[in-house]
Amino acid sequence: MTQYFFYFLSFLAIFFAALVVLSKNPVHSVLYLILCFFSIAGHYILLNAQFLAAVHIIVYAGAIMVLFLFVLMLMNLNRDSEPPKSWQGKVAATLAAGLLLLVFTASIKGADALPSGNQPDNTVGLLTNLGKTLYNDFMLPFEVSSILFLVAMVGAVMIGKREEVSE
Amino acid sequence: MNALISLSVLGIVAMLSEIFNFKKFLYSLILLGLVAAIGVNVMEWGQFQLWYGMMIVDEFTLAFSGVILLTGFLWFLLVADNHQDKAHISDHFAISLFAMAGAIVMVSYNNLSMLFLGIEIVSISMYIMASTQKNDLGSNEAGFKYFLMGAFATGFILFGTALLYGATATFDIQKIGVFVTEHNSELPAIFYAGLILIMVGMAFKISAVPFHWWAPDVYTGSPTLITAFMATIVKTAAFAAFLRLFITCFSGVELFWNQTIMIMAGATILLGNITALLQNDFKRILAFSSVAHAGYMLLAVLAMNNQSGGSLLFYLLAYSISSLSAFAVLLAVANLKGNTNVQSFKGLAKKNPFLAFVVIVAMLSLAGIPPTAGFFAKYYIFTAAIANNYVGLTLVAITGSIVSIFYYFRIVIVMFEGDESTEVTVGSNTKALLVICSVLVILLGLMPDFLIGLLK
Repeated sequence: MTQYFFYFLSFLAIFFAALVVLSKNPVHSVLYLILCFFSIAGHYILLNAQFLAAVHIIVYAGAIMVLFLFVLMLMNLNRDSEPPKSWQGKVAATLAAGLLLLVFTASIKGADALPSGNQPDNTVGLLTNLGKTLYNDFMLPFEVSSILFLVAMVGAVMIGKREEVSE
Repeated sequence: MNALISLSVLGIVAMLSEIFNFKKFLYSLILLGLVAAIGVNVMEWGQFQLWYGMMIVDEFTLAFSGVILLTGFLWFLLVADNHQDKAHISDHFAISLFAMAGAIVMVSYNNLSMLFLGIEIVSISMYIMASTQKNDLGSNEAGFKYFLMGAFATGFILFGTALLYGATATFDIQKIGVFVTEHNSELPAIFYAGLILIMVGMAFKISAVPFHWWAPDVYTGSPTLITAFMATIVKTAAFAAFLRLFITCFSGVELFWNQTIMIMAGATILLGNITALLQNDFKRILAFSSVAHAGYMLLAVLAMNNQSGGSLLFYLLAYSISSLSAFAVLLAVANLKGNTNVQSFKGLAKKNPFLAFVVIVAMLSLAGIPPTAGFFAKYYIFTAAIANNYVGLTLVAITGSIVSIFYYFRIVIVMFEGDESTEVTVGSNTKALLVICSVLVILLGLMPDFLIGLLK
């Protein structure tokens, strides 16, 4: 049963991801991206990580998508204003992406018999265990990430602040 | 760890100075704090600590933290005379201090999650600092380009980390190293895919060919002060992280990646040096020379022996202080002439013999000519590479450094040409920086044994 769900959700995720790239209208792309994120959130639930699924929807489908829409609106990008790309660029991009796909597909081979062997703990996604891991094992990275947020905050204020026009 | 704490505290103090109105003392406070951090770092020498399994304090960490703190201190000396944007000064100081804290994380990580955080702290600070001159189109372009490409490279590192975790079930780099040696013959394909992705991401961060395209544009477009920061401190941190990752994790599968890095190093040296020959802008020459130097430093990663750490440390210190003094003179000249063209150095030797002397010392060191630090830096890194049988690549590197002499000496020749009426003035802090850097360059060239003996 889980397996069928997995394939169904994977199909949806890939389908919507393709639509994000293929649709001409940027606003449609953003909407398809939301659907894509919802299907990935479904994967989290299949992995018994309900908290992560909820966070994923709140942060990505909620906050980040709103940011995307804001940018689209502010820059008035809802027309097909993108200049056409040269055929060399298209060929190069297709080749590079195709090769990357090949490498990833090939690397899955033998992944079901990993020598690391130990079955992952399938309760780690639950809120209690997640909290325990985050505040015990990963305490230091958790604290260090506050520096990262400080930098981002100071930077956003600095770049966003209106300059006094100097003569 | 103490360096990390003191830098973060200094950064927070700098941030708060705007509110509590002690901006006047902020600069002196930061200089004092950095001296204290260097002192604490030296005191810690010889200790070994593991913080929560996430950060490791060993001689490698302390030596590279020392280089970062020293370069940071010298960079702050440069800031005093060249900072134009007085309104945002506390924010700028805070961000550069946080970037240095991130650099410390990058040299002392023991866990891939810490590596990622360190890289992100440094990169995001640099994206912001590159675009601080809002009215300048070049600065905007540099910031945006760096941000887009850097985010892409970070994506590669993150994907690689995920695949490595999938293969080894741990983020701890020492455990990954043990796993690699234990399962050497039966490593899954997913592990190698992860290795390649991390290698691509890190090669971007150190600006190795073919992932170097961002470097010249970003270095040229950013304010020169920030370029000096990127070319020295960020590069030091990225290389230390690169070396630690490959020595700890991937030394067991050396045969898998050494060909790739070898080609990368050769291409970086040749392309960096030859493109630098064609430039007319001194800032762009320094940008391409920093790409070329990344190629030489990759030799230390390839060497994979007990000389790797020491030779990389020596090279990074020699390169950082020589570049810093070159950037300091460039800033002084550019403030006067309004551009960074090679021709603006015309007649510098007649009017400013001191500045000309500093430039000559820096250029000799960057080109690797004997009485300076740069010579021994190249010498140690080449012997380390030859000890691991990279004779052909070392020959390529030597050819590259011969090519580099042409463009480094072009600037020296221009300085002695023609007459110039206006004298370039430098402030007392910059003067101190130039004296310290030149003395260090010559001192390291005369007595290299001390530094190279630190890491064995």
